[in-house]
Amino acid sequence: MGTRVSRKVTFRWEGHAIEGSIETRGNRATWTRDAEALDAEIVRDGAWVEIRTTAGASRAAVKAGPKEVWVSLCGRTYVLERAHRTSSGSAAATSNDEIRAPMTGKVVRVTAAAGDQVKEDDLLLTIEAMKMEFKLTAPEDARIEEILCADGDRVELGQLLVRLAPLVEPAKGAS
Amino acid sequence: MTPITKVLVANRGEIAIRICRTLRTMGIPSVVVFSEADRGAPHTKAGDEAVLLGAAEPAQSYLNVDRILGAARATGASAIHPGYGFVAENAAFARACAAAGVTFIGPSPESMERLGSKTKAREAAIRLKVPVVPGVEDVPDAARARQEADRIGYPVLLKAASGGGGRGMRRVAKAEEMDGAFESGRREAEASFGDGRLLLEKLVHPARHIEVQILADGKDAIAFGERECSLQRRYQKIVEESPSSAVTPKTRAKLEEAAITLARDARYSGAGTVEFLLGPDGAFYFLEVNTRLQVEHPVTEARFGLDLVRAQIEIAAGGKLPKRPEPKGHAIEVRLNAEDPYRGFIPQSGPISLLAWPPGEGIRVDAGIEEGHPVHAHYDSLLAKVIAYGKDRSEARERLIQALRALALLGIRTNQGFLIDLLASEAFATGETYTHTVESSSWPPPDQVPDEALLAAALALEAPRAALGGRRDADRWSPWRLLGAWGRA
Repeated sequence: MGTRVSRKVTFRWEGHAIEGSIETRGNRATWTRDAEALDAEIVRDGAWVEIRTTAGASRAAVKAGPKEVWVSLCGRTYVLERAHRTSSGSAAATSNDEIRAPMTGKVVRVTAAAGDQVKEDDLLLTIEAMKMEFKLTAPEDARIEEILCADGDRVELGQLLVRLAPLVEPAKGAS
Repeated sequence: MTPITKVLVANRGEIAIRICRTLRTMGIPSVVVFSEADRGAPHTKAGDEAVLLGAAEPAQSYLNVDRILGAARATGASAIHPGYGFVAENAAFARACAAAGVTFIGPSPESMERLGSKTKAREAAIRLKVPVVPGVEDVPDAARARQEADRIGYPVLLKAASGGGGRGMRRVAKAEEMDGAFESGRREAEASFGDGRLLLEKLVHPARHIEVQILADGKDAIAFGERECSLQRRYQKIVEESPSSAVTPKTRAKLEEAAITLARDARYSGAGTVEFLLGPDGAFYFLEVNTRLQVEHPVTEARFGLDLVRAQIEIAAGGKLPKRPEPKGHAIEVRLNAEDPYRGFIPQSGPISLLAWPPGEGIRVDAGIEEGHPVHAHYDSLLAKVIAYGKDRSEARERLIQALRALALLGIRTNQGFLIDLLASEAFATGETYTHTVESSSWPPPDQVPDEALLAAALALEAPRAALGGRRDADRWSPWRLLGAWGRA
């Protein structure tokens, strides 16, 4: 049959890394992860991949983009980030010192102001999309460093909205 | 009555396409309308003609009365079907249609006002001795709301005085939550309906949402059984079925009678839905009337073998009410939404990179999307409805789960996997469905990626396309492909 090709593949999924290797020969492929191998006969049809093993057959639909690979299998969709990028997360990811728009939409009301001290879960702003409101809250006690949006602004997925400075707390004593 | 010779469909997405389908079977030419954001969208190809209304913002397009009537005039449409949402429950729009000599396919503006406003409908129900949930209409401010809630007893619900769909609705468990809930509820009602008035009522718990489909001709009314729509998130329905596992024949007769009484009193004409809450003791309370076609109307169509859009058009043209056939079997619908169920149901927008609908016996798909087309943040997150019919509830449920497992949609996150979990849950399987069921249970995301999915992803990245029995993309309509993902994995 054809030449053997084996490559290491790393994905990120829901914040953690998935590492494995893919080996192909002719119409067969083997996916190995954590010393467990899935060996299958493969039939590809456009975006569809049929995976035939001794246990049965399943079909997956796959679309690979520059940042992510989307896979649909048995009614579930998996969005796998391509790990050879330097990214530490998806575009909408929010770290504790910045609040990014979780969706494309419109800012209904900014409740916090620069310089405010906020507590964990305090409302910072309300954004609206598809006629529904969503509240963005402080991930931890912090001071608002900068507000980068205003009431009525249209914002894009992942756009930076609020910059927070974590409060430098003295070690907590008994309370 | 003026004959209906050409119909303008004043809507978008799945419902515009669904209405055009009926118009085609009736041999009536159709006109669709679209906003700038919807250029080339699937619904723009569903009619015989298409007219650009204006900018993406609904106020400039799908809500703009002058532009819609202008499009009707320009194309010579003799009637307008409003679908649901947008101008469907706008009495001023219905009046403007009449003034322009265009038939509005729906009730008269008068009966729309009598039943479409929650406040007025409630007054009518009280007068007609149809039971209602204890509460007060038109609460002016949060202080008054607190006062009334103290009297009725917590928990209470705040709701928008005009319009439905859960927008503006807030559950308030205690007095301290009232101010915040009142302000945000009013804002959402104002943004959605241009009317920020709120009403307050007692929360019935645990409750089922039961609604009765009616057709009326201004004199008489017929009820077509109930739909249960208890499974909701953020007060919006996601699963609808008929019949309800909780409605006994006796209760059904009373519900239908209440719905008919309200419709006759308002001289209602066309299709409408009368919504009720069913309490744990079997008592039911009138909620509101939706003076239009409902999103979930296919569930009733499946059981009665009836085309409700056709019935609406025939009634609007002065025709007779259809006969009421005996309902058969069971039907369940799910709403496939562009939202992330694992992150607070946040709406998703973006291009759809792959789409394959499920085949299968007893399956109907009403969709407003196509592969390669984007889903916009401007509009509703409903992508498609998948409806399963079976001889009984368990067959319908099984078919629907199979269909959702065979459906593939890539490019934007949807609630597909969550819907499968919901249908497969013990609560749904046993018919223990309440309005709080979705939000009071936990619906965890998958905790790992199956190796089959990883293999497929790794192949797409690393293996050359020519290898591994690759076929050409042009083969997309092969029967083999259309069989879908009926894998045994």
